Amino acid sequence: MEKVMSRFMELSTDPYAGVAKWKEDTGKKIIGCFPMRIPEEIVHASGMLPVVMWRGNEAVTLGHSYVHNFNCGLTRSFIDDVMKDKLDFMDGMIFYRSCLQAEEIPSTIELNAPPRHFLYLYLPPLYPGAVFRDFLIQQLKKMKENLEAWAGKEITEDALNNSIEVYNKNRSLLKRLYELRKRKPGTIRAREMLAIVHASMLMDKEEHSKLLGSLLPELEDREEVADGKVRVILSGGLCQTPHTAILDLIEEAGMVVVDDDIYIGSRYFANEVTPGNDPLESLADRYMKKTPPDPTMGDWKTLWSDYMVDKVRENNAKGMVSLLVKFCPPHLCYYPDIKRTFDKEGIPEVMIEVEHEVVSVEQMRTRLQAFVEVIRGGA
Amino acid sequence: MVQEFKLNRLETTRLMGPMVDKHWKELRTAKERGEKVAWCSGVPFIFAYAMDMKCHFMAGYSAYCAGRKAGEHVLEIADSTGELPDTCSYHRMHMGMAEAVKRGIPVREDVVLPIPDLMIAGRVCPEMSHYAEALYRKFGIQVAGIELMTPYQESDYEFLEPYLERQFKEILIPTLEEICGKPFDYDHMREILRVLKKTATIRNDCLEYFKKVPSPWTLWDYGVSLAPVIYLMGKPETIPYYEKLRAELEERSKKNIPAILPEEKHRVFWDGWLPWGFLGHFSRKLTSYGANPISGRYPWEMFPRPDLIDPEGDPVHTFVKALYTGTMLGNNMAKPGLSLIDRIIPEYQIDGLIFFTAKSCRIWKSQLTILEKMERKYGIPGLCLEADMADPKMFSDAQIDTRLNAFFEVLEARKEKRRWV
Repeated sequence: MEKVMSRFMELSTDPYAGVAKWKEDTGKKIIGCFPMRIPEEIVHASGMLPVVMWRGNEAVTLGHSYVHNFNCGLTRSFIDDVMKDKLDFMDGMIFYRSCLQAEEIPSTIELNAPPRHFLYLYLPPLYPGAVFRDFLIQQLKKMKENLEAWAGKEITEDALNNSIEVYNKNRSLLKRLYELRKRKPGTIRAREMLAIVHASMLMDKEEHSKLLGSLLPELEDREEVADGKVRVILSGGLCQTPHTAILDLIEEAGMVVVDDDIYIGSRYFANEVTPGNDPLESLADRYMKKTPPDPTMGDWKTLWSDYMVDKVRENNAKGMVSLLVKFCPPHLCYYPDIKRTFDKEGIPEVMIEVEHEVVSVEQMRTRLQAFVEVIRGGA
Repeated sequence: MVQEFKLNRLETTRLMGPMVDKHWKELRTAKERGEKVAWCSGVPFIFAYAMDMKCHFMAGYSAYCAGRKAGEHVLEIADSTGELPDTCSYHRMHMGMAEAVKRGIPVREDVVLPIPDLMIAGRVCPEMSHYAEALYRKFGIQVAGIELMTPYQESDYEFLEPYLERQFKEILIPTLEEICGKPFDYDHMREILRVLKKTATIRNDCLEYFKKVPSPWTLWDYGVSLAPVIYLMGKPETIPYYEKLRAELEERSKKNIPAILPEEKHRVFWDGWLPWGFLGHFSRKLTSYGANPISGRYPWEMFPRPDLIDPEGDPVHTFVKALYTGTMLGNNMAKPGLSLIDRIIPEYQIDGLIFFTAKSCRIWKSQLTILEKMERKYGIPGLCLEADMADPKMFSDAQIDTRLNAFFEVLEARKEKRRWV
């Protein structure tokens, strides 16, 4: 078990080496996909490896000549990595706008250090109206055509259906993992969970499923260690990796994470693709699903705050820790509503603002300890 | 001896205040007259106008509120009700105003907004749908979602135009028909477009005067005159306004009267938003160096191609054409923006580039890249001014002064090295 877990951890903490090695071993192309809604299955079906773009592991330096320091960590870090030639192993990059800052990356990269293959997709919001689904399908067709040109081969319907199956299987395994954590909280640490999901974004899905399949029975055998801990759910980190140090702090403060609503977490594998007559339409239908609510998608009726309240209650959690990425507009705009809703419902919630460059960990520790005391005092 | 400069303001621009005030007053008092009200982000407000609804325009209102010096107070209300300080200041301004109306918090009467019957969420940027979403959560107001996707590159107009046209025809028009209880008034839309076409055509004549050295007007004058080619569109009085403005510019031009007295020393390009909350403040700063901001990307967003507007045909189709092929949407994006700036610098004989960067709004893409490329190509200096369009807490005045000082020193030193040709 330790070997598999180490593999996931290594890949998550240093994706550069792991992804580059996969390319070297297989001779296949690597395609970076901007988080969170690009259907990776189409890339997979082309025989290339889709990897979800990540926030790097070093402070931004050169990148600040290309992007303002008041952009979020992912935009700054990704541009920094590209300018430092750290992502040369990526043969292609696919972008779309999930927020205003996400829109900053593609042009900055294309104008300064264009990758071998580049695609800017227009992915629509989840507004009511058939026009949005039609437009999405049109864009997915464009994506498929581009990938066929990059891969130098046709993406057949069979290949797409196979990729959908591969991805669905991986999603169901990750779901099992999450169910296990809910049943036996504390058996899987938050940083381990993060590494497992993150690795799924960075490695061949079939290989990940195989490794995760072997890991699951062993994790089942772990003893539950959540006695006396405060059950919480994690939220936020809409498109980027939370710092593992912060996840550790949450646990050290006396909390146990029973579920989450973060992208490198349950949001990544939520919703399987329902196979149908046309695989692109099936992928579009997954994209159009309204839960988990996504504040980047413009759906005003499905309330994210209500969804989180339900998640806390379903998990019998005592509170929620919001990881608000500094300069993340969708979360910033929605957060006041989350706060109000949680106050109204009488559910404790604490917001930790996280930056790419870790700020004072001790201040966070104090806040998290105080949060635990508030919950325990009120219990 | 240090040379002293001062702005030589145009007479015509003094007429704009009452026109703008009238617009917002009519909106504010619409409910008293039993009229329907909409709030709108982006330009789809034209559809509400066509239905005789009174409609707010998000950016226009924010500029108005900030320009009236009420923005800071409204932002404070937003902060006190839980909005977070890094959030888009236009978003916060609307949250603050909504909370003020909802809770009866006193704000200046001239900036009060009526709670609307419909929110048109024109999604130029995702934040523009956030404000509609948040207001839906506060008031349960009906929303019509329209995506005004900004084009990454010019070649994408081809499929973005039919996408937007369908949204107007399948979503917005039926919603307005339902709310107003009558069929959509295509003729009224045509009438608005006729006036807009004429106003924008005369406005383009006026823009030509920016090419003159010295320029008879400044970007500050043009900023004051933007409303007729955006949210005052369709108002008949916008035509005589621009005719008068053109005549004044012609007069100045003939007599070689500059917009900055005693002389225009530097011609600069101003990128990004105009700092609506601090227009006078920034204009005084630049004027003190004899610097005239004579062009920018923002002014080119206001229907720069009226020749493409054909009011006699399908008004929805022609409106969409004016937005994309007419380059109203997209100058904020890096590639179309770069092409535009590349054209403007030699045409307008620009000496230096000031890129105004709003800390709470990242809609102007890849500014640092564009700045670097243009500096390199034309040998002119560039400066990024980090501030905000409405929130004074976002910047330090002293830092801005220091940077402007250094910038104009470099600009002076580099004048001989410009490469416009």
